[in-house]
Amino acid sequence: MKKLGAKDKIQKRTWIILALIVGLGFITIIGKLFIVQVVQGEELSTKALDQQLKDTSIGAKRGTIYDCNGKVIAKSATVWKLALEPTYFEDDEQREYVAKGIADILDTDYEKIFEKTKKNVYYVDIKSNIENDVKDELVEFKKEVTEKYLKLANVIYLIEDYKRYYPYGTFASSVIGFTGSDGQGLAGLEYQYDEVLSGTPGRVLTAVDGTGKTEMPYEYEYKVDAINGYNLVLTIDETVQRIMEKYLKQGLIDNAVYNRGAAIMMNVKTGGIIGMAVEEGFDANDPFKLVSEAKKEEIAALPEDEQEAETSKALSEQWRNKAVSDTYYPGSVFKIITSAMALEEGAITLDSQFTCTGAYSPYEGVNPIPCHNTAGHGTQTFPQALCNSCNPAFMMIGQKVGAEKFWEYYKAFGYSEKTGIDLPGEADDIFFSQDGSMGPVDLAVSSFGQGFSITPIQMITAVASVVNGGNLMQPYLVSQIVDDDGNIISATEPTVKRQVVSKEVSEELCKILEENAVSGAAKNGYVTGYRVGGKTGTSQRLADINGDGIQDYIASFCGFAPADDPQYIMLVYYDSPQGDSYYGSTVAAPVFAKIMTEVLPYLGVEAQYTEEELANMSTTAGAYTGVSVSDAKTAVINDGFAPVVYGNGDVVLSQIPAGGATIPQDGTVVLFTDENAEKEMVKVPDLVGMSIAEANRSAALFNLNVSISGSASSSNCISYSQDIEADTEVKPGTVITVSFCETGVAD
Amino acid sequence: MAETAAKSRSLKRPATPSNTRKLKKPGFFNAKSGFDMPFFVIVLVLVVVGLIVMFSASYPSAYYYKGNSYAYFLPQLRSVIIGIGAMIVVSFVDYRQLRRFAYVVFAISVVLLIAVLIVPSEGDVKRWMTIGIQFQPSEIAKFATILILACWTSTHSESMDKFKEGVLLPGVFVAVTCALLMLEPHYSCIAIILILTMVMLFLSGVKGIYFIVGIGAVAALFAILYSTGALAGYLEKKFSGWGTALTYINDDQWQNQTWQTRNSLYAIGSGGLLGLGPGQSRQKHLFLPEPQNDFIFAIVCEELGFIGALVILLAFAYLVYRGIRVCMRAPDIFGRLLGTGLCAQIGLQVILNVLVITDCLPNTGISFPFFSYGGTSMIMLLMQMGVVLSITRSARAEKM
Repeated sequence: MKKLGAKDKIQKRTWIILALIVGLGFITIIGKLFIVQVVQGEELSTKALDQQLKDTSIGAKRGTIYDCNGKVIAKSATVWKLALEPTYFEDDEQREYVAKGIADILDTDYEKIFEKTKKNVYYVDIKSNIENDVKDELVEFKKEVTEKYLKLANVIYLIEDYKRYYPYGTFASSVIGFTGSDGQGLAGLEYQYDEVLSGTPGRVLTAVDGTGKTEMPYEYEYKVDAINGYNLVLTIDETVQRIMEKYLKQGLIDNAVYNRGAAIMMNVKTGGIIGMAVEEGFDANDPFKLVSEAKKEEIAALPEDEQEAETSKALSEQWRNKAVSDTYYPGSVFKIITSAMALEEGAITLDSQFTCTGAYSPYEGVNPIPCHNTAGHGTQTFPQALCNSCNPAFMMIGQKVGAEKFWEYYKAFGYSEKTGIDLPGEADDIFFSQDGSMGPVDLAVSSFGQGFSITPIQMITAVASVVNGGNLMQPYLVSQIVDDDGNIISATEPTVKRQVVSKEVSEELCKILEENAVSGAAKNGYVTGYRVGGKTGTSQRLADINGDGIQDYIASFCGFAPADDPQYIMLVYYDSPQGDSYYGSTVAAPVFAKIMTEVLPYLGVEAQYTEEELANMSTTAGAYTGVSVSDAKTAVINDGFAPVVYGNGDVVLSQIPAGGATIPQDGTVVLFTDENAEKEMVKVPDLVGMSIAEANRSAALFNLNVSISGSASSSNCISYSQDIEADTEVKPGTVITVSFCETGVAD
Repeated sequence: MAETAAKSRSLKRPATPSNTRKLKKPGFFNAKSGFDMPFFVIVLVLVVVGLIVMFSASYPSAYYYKGNSYAYFLPQLRSVIIGIGAMIVVSFVDYRQLRRFAYVVFAISVVLLIAVLIVPSEGDVKRWMTIGIQFQPSEIAKFATILILACWTSTHSESMDKFKEGVLLPGVFVAVTCALLMLEPHYSCIAIILILTMVMLFLSGVKGIYFIVGIGAVAALFAILYSTGALAGYLEKKFSGWGTALTYINDDQWQNQTWQTRNSLYAIGSGGLLGLGPGQSRQKHLFLPEPQNDFIFAIVCEELGFIGALVILLAFAYLVYRGIRVCMRAPDIFGRLLGTGLCAQIGLQVILNVLVITDCLPNTGISFPFFSYGGTSMIMLLMQMGVVLSITRSARAEKM
């Protein structure tokens, strides 16, 4: 029985053992497997795949950027990327050999590469953007390595990649932007359209075994082709942009501008940007190089530990697109807007009269705010007040409009919002308050564009709406996105945000602004042969930015053409000119005129000369060669030119200007009668700082012709530049183009 | 080979044919009743599945390191054939004969455990030795321990509740074996032997209080050693990276020590619910080191998924359950304890192995029964199954 008792005990305890082993034990491991396989399965298999698959990426070609005529502004070209597969290395000797070879070819730090060769991974990047010639050296080196160590045949990797090139360098760099070392857009359109341009990189996944070999008994390869980025077609016209940059830069130098300048040209009807220049621009191929010599010297003078921070500050400054990212007091250009709102609201009519005594108190007890003409403009009609750019008159107009309406129109003209131009970093305006409330003095100064800050792009967009019939457009730079086969992926349709003023008000203001350009303060913006309208602006900067203790100004000019049916509008603006003058009329307006003089004919705007201009017009010289000297002289005089004979021959051998060339009326035609005479040269005199008559006279002394450019419709204009520099040797009879501008307008 | 005189004799005898002779020698052979067919079938199925899986898991490293995809499969196939033959033969031997040889078997086991320490070996670990073929004495030690405990307890079944007979004297056998294993060292084998010892002493009626005191004492000793820092360096070395296979993935020091466990987890996780398909493991391509050995079940999980692993584990669970249940009907305590101990060994190895490959226990070398590569283990296990089958014959006869 006792034995049976022991057996019973065993029976009982057997169940406990079974429960522990089969129950607890197996349930535990099954549960654990469930957690690892089902709950964590995905995470673990991802990690497993990371090591089981060799992932090689195939670069996608970044899209090209074209101007509106299909000229290439930015493109990507093939370069090479060097990578290593350090897992193949067997010992430090091999690592040293390869690291040394690569460091020599790339001219980089040996230690860094050696460190990378020690990693036990399939892939490590060494360098991007390797040009073809360096790549060839690397290929040679790879052969050497393979000969020396057979096992290292696959250790060096060269992967095709792309690098960004900007064929025109500094051209429109603030707008186009640039890309970083990995090809990602860092500024401008490159940044804004990064996703569109960059495309989708492809990849090849290859199965490898634990030693990194790809000869697997089973096939596992997965390839995704790279999808090239789309191309951008801009509204920018390369020719226009180039002309804008040329003259903007010239103005920058002529006026010793401290803090860069910008110019925007827009199609008033669509909002498309035809040109957007910021000077000094940087080189998009080398964006990390400081352009400003002054800034470089400033930084070099700093203690060494501050230089780096200051340099990066200066660089971001240099990359900033002044036309959209900087704000400024718009100054008198804003009077166009004040005028538009006052006319639209019926607060004033064209016949309204305003009396300027040189200063005006917006309300009693406030110090009078002066006009730029401290002597006063006297009693003027509204159009006269606008042409005089009279501040007191505009303070009165502002009062008639009232703060509430002023704020409403301020918003309606789009100043309180971003214009929505397709560029990054558009700045916000800074107004007196978020809700538009402002005091009487605020309103008074706002009426002539002081006291609040807006961006240049906001300004030009608002003026465009005034002159295009009242439609506020959304400005844009990219007109089309196309693929490599030329299929249009998307096209930008002009967007009318809202109608701000009526067509009638728009037309009336166009007329007044044209008058302003012909005879008002905007005279220097006049473009001979074209009907242009415009408005100057000179505004104070709040801060004295270069710290010389003298108040700094912003000189701007906003004009459009043709005045009877505006198509193009341009804003030119200089931040802190330090030259003889800081007025919009003397600094910005001439630049506007010079740009428009070249751009309008290029854009196919037809010239419409006034009678006076026709009288001043250049005419075509006839052909006077091959006849006797006396016959030629008669012919020249009959054509209205002055003949000058060089040489002793009897027959005219050649002439300057050539037959068919245009020369000013009353110009000089030089007739050469022997071969020695043809070799004679004259020195160009200095024609700057002269009136038209003086310039003509001194040119005539040397038998040279003067062609007048710029605002030369009145007698009090002075030449400020000539296209052939003084002391240059030229042939007699050569036509020298001399630029004139008005004096005595101070706005 | 190792299994002592008892085994070798049983192998020799039937070499002169045949079944008719068994009836003539009822004392040694026992065929009064058939063995438990379900148990036999499950063993065969698991062995065959294990062989196929072992081939699948081993061919990449066999090819890479040995230049021959069958380098592991063929020796394993040979072991399986020998093992199954041995199992069937042993199943005809009356297990009660083993009782007579228990001390001899134990003595041989001890001799072999000493010998393995003496013969030259590669590396730090002394687990293998070669007498004609390479084998592991620790595999024999497990069987010897089960056998001697079954023998001892059946002899002293009425005084097992006493400390001396129930704990102290059987403890001497175990202590000798474990001390020798400690010198190899082979901790996982010690763990299995200790657990098996507890299982068998528990079944044989040792008082529960001794287990509580014993386990408590070990835990206390461990806690003291741990808190004094005496084990710090040792544990770090032994259990290096245990439980941290995924945490220290980028740490150079742990990277290598946890490599195998981490890749085991990758393999198991990659299998997911349904697996990558038979033969489709990726981790076996030289990512998981020695996939044919202790970590073979990770490859099974990768190829067959959780569902496949579950089916196999349930088959093992049923094998253990069935084996123990049937052996419980054996007419004598020796048979009951011997059968239970042998089946429990299978179950324990499965459980501990899966805990190791899922990073729940340190990686100390526990093979997966019938699946892992290894001739000694395979043949020993199959002969042990033969012993269990032999017990089932008596159990069935008893029942009838």
